[in-house]
Parts: sequence; C-alpha cells; structure tokens
Amino acid sequence: MGSEPNGSPTVKRTCWRLVDILSGMLDADERQAVRGDVAESGESIVRATGDVLGLIVRRQIGLWTEWQPWLALLGVACLAGLSLSRIAFRFNVDLGQQLMAYYTYGVHFGTLLTRQQDMAWLLCLAIALFLWSWTCGFVLGSLSGRAVWLTWSLFYLMVLDSALVRLVLSGNVILRAQPVRLLMAATLPLNPATFLFSLSALWGAFMGVRRRVLPWRAAYVLASAITTFTILVTWMGGWYETAHEVWSSGAWHGVSWTTRLLPFVVVSWPVAYLLAAANRQQTTSAKETT
Amino acid sequence: MLGEFEYLILSAATRLREGAYGAAIRQEIEEATRRGCSIGALYTTLDRLETKGLIKTWMGDPTPQRGGRPKRMVRVTANGIRAASDFYLAVRRVSRGVLWEVNRMALRP
Repeated sequence: MGSEPNGSPTVKRTCWRLVDILSGMLDADERQAVRGDVAESGESIVRATGDVLGLIVRRQIGLWTEWQPWLALLGVACLAGLSLSRIAFRFNVDLGQQLMAYYTYGVHFGTLLTRQQDMAWLLCLAIALFLWSWTCGFVLGSLSGRAVWLTWSLFYLMVLDSALVRLVLSGNVILRAQPVRLLMAATLPLNPATFLFSLSALWGAFMGVRRRVLPWRAAYVLASAITTFTILVTWMGGWYETAHEVWSSGAWHGVSWTTRLLPFVVVSWPVAYLLAAANRQQTTSAKETT
Repeated sequence: MLGEFEYLILSAATRLREGAYGAAIRQEIEEATRRGCSIGALYTTLDRLETKGLIKTWMGDPTPQRGGRPKRMVRVTANGIRAASDFYLAVRRVSRGVLWEVNRMALRP
C-alpha cells in the first residue's frame, strides 16, 4: 500500500495496519474506496494517516448535524446515565453490605428486613439494572450510529462516576486513594453493579448499531419486563422506608413512592422510544404489504 | 452557486470522463492548483455534490493496482454541467477588464 516510510519493516507494517484500522471507522464502501485511493496514489504513511484521519473527523462532525446523536447524548448518556449511576451505586452499597457481613461474620446484615426480603430486593434490582442498561445501550447505538463510540464512552463514564462525583462534591466522601487507583476506579468496571451495567450496555449498543429497531414483539416483551421490574423495585424500596419509620418510632419520614419511582421512570424512557420505533416499523411494513 | 472546490471537482470529473474516480480527480486537482487536496475534503464534497444532484457516484470494479479495492466512480449530471458552466461564465463576466498578469507585475518590487 503506497510508498513505504523510513524505518524497519515491522514499523512500516504497523503504520499501514494503523491506517487500515483507522479506516475501519468509515462505511464499508467508502473504506474500500479510500484504501484503494491511498494505495494507488503511493503517498507516504504520514500523509495517508492524515488523509484518513481527516476524513474520519469530517464524517464524525457530519453525524452531529442530525438530531439523533444529540438525543442519544443528552437523553440517554446524560439524563438516563445520571439516574442509572445512582441506582448502580445503591445496588453496590446494598450488595456490598450483605457480602461483607456474610464473609466477615457469617451473618445477614441487619437492614430491619428479613433475609428473604433483602435477597428479593437485590435480585430484582440486579435484573432491573441489567434490563435498563441493555435498553439504554440499544437506544444509544440505534440513535448514534457511527458516533456510538463517543456517546457510549460518555454514558459509561457518567454511570461509573457521576454518583461518586456528587458524593465527593457534597463532602460525603473524601478520596484518599492514590491517583492510579482512583483512575482505575473511575474508568474500570471493578464492582458488581458497574460490571453488570458495562456488559449489558455494551451488548445493547452493539445490537442497536446492527439492528437499529427491535422487532415489534421483542420490543413489547422488553417493555413489559421493564415495567414489571420498575414496579417491583419501587414497591420493594418501600420496605426499607416502612421498616425505618417503624424502627425510629415515626421520627424518620420515609421517601414517598412517587419520589422512589422518579429515577426509575427517567432511566426507563429509552424503552418508550424503542416501542415507538418498533411500532413505526410495524406500521410501515404493514402498509408496504397491503 | 457553486463553491470553488466544487467547481474544481466538476471540471476535473468532466475532463476525466469515464476515468473519473476519487484518486484520479484528486491528482487532476493537485496538478491544476499545485496544492494538496485531502481525501477528506474530496469525499465530503463529492457527497455534497451528489446530494445536490450535480454528480452521480457508484462503486466500480476492483483493480490490482489498488490492491483489489474498488473505485468510487463519478459522473457529472446535466445539472452539474449547467452549474459548472454558470460558475465559469460568472467568473469570466466578473473578470472582464481585469488584467491579473499586469496587476501581478505591478506588485513586483
């Protein structure tokens, strides 16, 4: 491919491989044409890399002239990401307490609820977290298209870090860890909630980019499952509020069900988009067959 | 009204006829302007011209010189020829009475 740059054959091969990898960010047809043009023109590796990078940047900027990536960024990555981060944080705290108590003392952590109630709460929250993450990932991929690498990264960082940042800024948490450990904690899914979120959101985004729209039946099954688990976790969240009210003899006023429901509704909005898109496609294909 | 770079692409593609594709158009423009032409600028402008209906592009057959990769072939449409012609006539009209060579000589110390 083209004239070779100065350096060892390994360096040259690596450089051209880099150009090949970079051009992978372009559409299939365009990628082939651009690689062919670069090969035919015999330009240097530096110019070839610059050319391919320049085209990628122009294409990426071009994507943001449409409304869809903006909706993915603001609606999913920022809005739903903030709520999902709080939910994941709550799941980590609740699960962490139980695991620590069990492995350190071999007992059930005292939450004023029964062991079965705590287990049911954690299980439902884990399933809900998986479903919300997958749906958010799918809608993110479907709306962003080739800009998904950017919107997904922001969504990922938002879910991983926003709850912690909020606690640090409010002074409830003081960070004392070394910078490297902090960086790892801020960027890697090292706890159960973020690991579960990362896997399902990545899978969802991959499917969203490939399929764009879920089949009508699958969309309804997913929407029903999300609605069911949203109701379940809202109801189960109330167990803790009631238990604390009883324990404090009325001094503690529990959070109302509407307040508990709000973050779950915010994180569930992508399923409404998913349903609307599936319905639209169903209507269009029905019209085409008639 | 066309942009300068759009006009260059339409002219190069018209001149190349059946042999108009990405790399050939780029070479033609670089030779004519004696300036570099980036692939990014070329391909995004080709898209814009196609959206305006001034050119039609399609993927050609792969060739061995290109490592078996296809070319993005370009054909200028009737509207493209009309737009390029209008641009050229406008440049000619606006340049009437302007002697660039003389002005350039006058700039010399």
